[in-house]
Amino acid sequence: MNAEELKSRILPVLLSGTRRDPGQNFAFGSDREHSVLNALSLAGQALRFTRPSVPNEFAVEHWPRDERRVLPDRLRPAIVRLLDRSTDDTARALAFALDKRKLRPHPFDLPKLDGFVRRYADRLGATAQYWVQCETSILAARSYFEADELTADNWTESSLRPRVLFLKTLRKQDAKAAQGLLEKTWSGENPDSRVQLLSTLQLGLSPQDKPFLESIQKDRAPRVRSLVQRMLAVISGSSGDNPALAACMERIQKSKAGLLKKREALKLELPATVKGHEVNRWIQEQFADVTLGSLAHACAMSERQLVEAAEKDDHLLFALAMMASREMRFDLLDSITEELPNAWGRMSEIPGDDDLEDDDRKLADWAIALIKPNKWLPEVPFPAWSWLHRQIKGTLPTRIMREVLASKTWTEQLDSDKKGGTEFVQVICALCPTELSGTIRSQIEPLEADRKDKGLMLLDILDELETLK
Amino acid sequence: MAGVSLEKIEAMAPDQSSLVAARKLVKPGSWSGLAADNAGLIWGECQGSGATPYRVVVSEADAGYKCSCPSRKFPCKHSLAMMWMRAEGKVSFQPAAVPEWVQEWLRRRRAGSGAPNSDKDETPQPKNLAQASSPQPEEVDPKAEARAAAARDRARREREDAIRAGLDDLDTWLIDQAEAGLAGFASHAGKSCRSIAQRLVDAKAPGLATRLDGLSNRIYSLPEHARPIAAVEQLGQLHLIAEAYRRQESLSIEMRADVRREVGWTQPRESLLSEEGALCVSGSWRVVGTVSEVQPDKLRRLETWLWREEPTEGPRTAVLLDFVPVASGQTKGAYRTGESINATLVFYPSVRPLRALIKEMTTPTQECSTDLGLSEDNLANAYGGYEDALAKIPWINVWPLRFRDARVRRNGEKLFACSAHNDEVALPIITNQVNAVSPLLAIEKFDGFGLWDGYTFRLCLAQTLRGRWVSE
Repeated sequence: MNAEELKSRILPVLLSGTRRDPGQNFAFGSDREHSVLNALSLAGQALRFTRPSVPNEFAVEHWPRDERRVLPDRLRPAIVRLLDRSTDDTARALAFALDKRKLRPHPFDLPKLDGFVRRYADRLGATAQYWVQCETSILAARSYFEADELTADNWTESSLRPRVLFLKTLRKQDAKAAQGLLEKTWSGENPDSRVQLLSTLQLGLSPQDKPFLESIQKDRAPRVRSLVQRMLAVISGSSGDNPALAACMERIQKSKAGLLKKREALKLELPATVKGHEVNRWIQEQFADVTLGSLAHACAMSERQLVEAAEKDDHLLFALAMMASREMRFDLLDSITEELPNAWGRMSEIPGDDDLEDDDRKLADWAIALIKPNKWLPEVPFPAWSWLHRQIKGTLPTRIMREVLASKTWTEQLDSDKKGGTEFVQVICALCPTELSGTIRSQIEPLEADRKDKGLMLLDILDELETLK
Repeated sequence: MAGVSLEKIEAMAPDQSSLVAARKLVKPGSWSGLAADNAGLIWGECQGSGATPYRVVVSEADAGYKCSCPSRKFPCKHSLAMMWMRAEGKVSFQPAAVPEWVQEWLRRRRAGSGAPNSDKDETPQPKNLAQASSPQPEEVDPKAEARAAAARDRARREREDAIRAGLDDLDTWLIDQAEAGLAGFASHAGKSCRSIAQRLVDAKAPGLATRLDGLSNRIYSLPEHARPIAAVEQLGQLHLIAEAYRRQESLSIEMRADVRREVGWTQPRESLLSEEGALCVSGSWRVVGTVSEVQPDKLRRLETWLWREEPTEGPRTAVLLDFVPVASGQTKGAYRTGESINATLVFYPSVRPLRALIKEMTTPTQECSTDLGLSEDNLANAYGGYEDALAKIPWINVWPLRFRDARVRRNGEKLFACSAHNDEVALPIITNQVNAVSPLLAIEKFDGFGLWDGYTFRLCLAQTLRGRWVSE
């Protein structure tokens, strides 16, 4: 009996049970019992020589072309070690640094860095994006391109962040073309994309955009409707069209202040039901759809006068700080934070991320205008610093960081009696520009190993990345 | 002397908390007498919570270590910390003569542990209490020796009888399963295998018992449709082993060794190392794969697969096996894929020698980044090598495959290792590797090393144009 016969004749009997056919004689032994056992061995061995079946078809892989350079091998183990149990600030700092230098993780490290890659895929190149998307759904495969490769023909095929950047750049160069592109793809976008892409049209907003904005006034997403309304109000230059502004004006009280020279003074009246930790959020929501220009116009004063008139009212100053941040009016923001240096601490308490800008220069200016380390640093430091790092997407300007490193808040953390400060060390290392890495190294060197290690590792890696050509 | 790298320390650490604890000790202030003999040994004393400092010694050649602390983690934080300090190079280890307590450890290390040993000629020190209290070595009593030899012989015969009785019970159990039908075997495999495994433990056939204990898991790990076939294959092998054992007198020495090992007879390391005529092969061995798996008996099996670079006569693939209690927390062996050692291996006798011990290590373990010329065979031919081995040893479980020009392909949720140029074979990748192997889908072809267990393929190493992929 050959192997095929064993499989076709003996195997079915063994599977169904030899008891069913007591008369069956396999003729493999002197008695029935031995015959059954030998049949079992022979059939089993015949099966073991059967090669595993080859599937009829295999999936066609669509791994993207990735122009980014792969991280050098010498940094790979260090990065895997760094990201193992590091804080999100450390991971974010690394993602920003890789993005800035157009580097990407080695493809073989993607499984080990899965959490990191998932979170920061849009900053790690096309392969990382494909990896994340591939894991989510093989069927929904699509190609990915780098932001600097995007054109009017392929811009819809990338992830959201590069698309927003692309549209923003195009808007600066050719406002009409950007609006035209968005109009063409509008119906295929999801609500998140619609909000972010539409926001780019705020740059160089003109009456030419009005027909498109009017056509989407009844969008299904409330956030889109609200944004459209605000943009239309800006175009028309009227406050009456903006109910949010009207609601704010109802809450702002005007009065005269000063002994010798009477000046306008503004005060924001909070509803009686808004107390404690709800205040910041209420202010943010109340003024979300109001611009500095429209508010100043409604108050019949200039924007600068508006800030001066609010200087005795922290809540209104905070509202103005939010608006100045949003509109990148750093001159005004600087004046506001002179009076309200804890503005960024209050901003950090509001849930949700404001994606401010991607322009490094502007973010640095924003940080300089916002943060006054000599006047105020957060008492409970960690969440506020973490928020700051999320916003500036990189390191603090050197001047600000130098003041932070000399501040009492920071030096107290270096006290050997303090325990459990690794998160704070990591976020400060994440915020530290290369110029000051030597200073911060010498400051944290005396700390216990488990408090300083991740911070030092991050600094080492960031320094190494700086040296890459 | 190449030291232990940070990556290796990380791999050796039983868990993250050990690393964190070790990191706190990476400062000279915690240590005294840090020294090295410039031949691969470093030692020192670390002040712990007790009055007496812990004595730590590390052999850099093979990452061997010993600490006098009572920790049940291996390596302990003190050993890790000392390796760490050495790897960082920030703390100086003074050159010094090897102290007595380090020499004592060297003497007590089992021969064949791999470390270059300068005290090979020394006889082990007495370590039983009676001998230690006696000023002169005890004289050998020929009558007592004879009685002991007779007792050993009697015990051996009794074990042989017990095993044969156990094999008879195994046959009866196999017949019962075949009578009932193997289509439904998987549904009751766990309980059924456990009871016969216990019987075989009683019959002093622990090898077979372990095989039976792992059988249900093995079957359950397969797709439902494949389980009845796997039951026939696995139970068929059991009878082959039993029958070969009964007829071992008619088998070759190597085959007899294979079947006795499969049943549960073991050959002590010392016996193999000192055996004249044992197969010894010297050369430059590269680590091409490591596997760490928990066995049903709560021991972790650490496999280190080696590939000899010189194409001279003798086995070119070898596996070192280590067993550690799961409770020790150790999850990885001393070697990492890609490392290289110059050593003489001694192989356990077998028709297809594979399992080996390091008899002598001539150079310590070294990191090596160059690619290996693993094989001229494509995957299909390498699979043919498995079939050859299967024809020789019908009960083999895992077989190493070395191949070139392979690729990974996807079908649904499954990944397959295939030849890059044709579809002759497609070996399903083991499920728990799918995520780690996925990046290789982007690689058009690679050379590699992996382990085929008859059902699934575990890829250990892939040499690609993008660098080396290693299973961890």
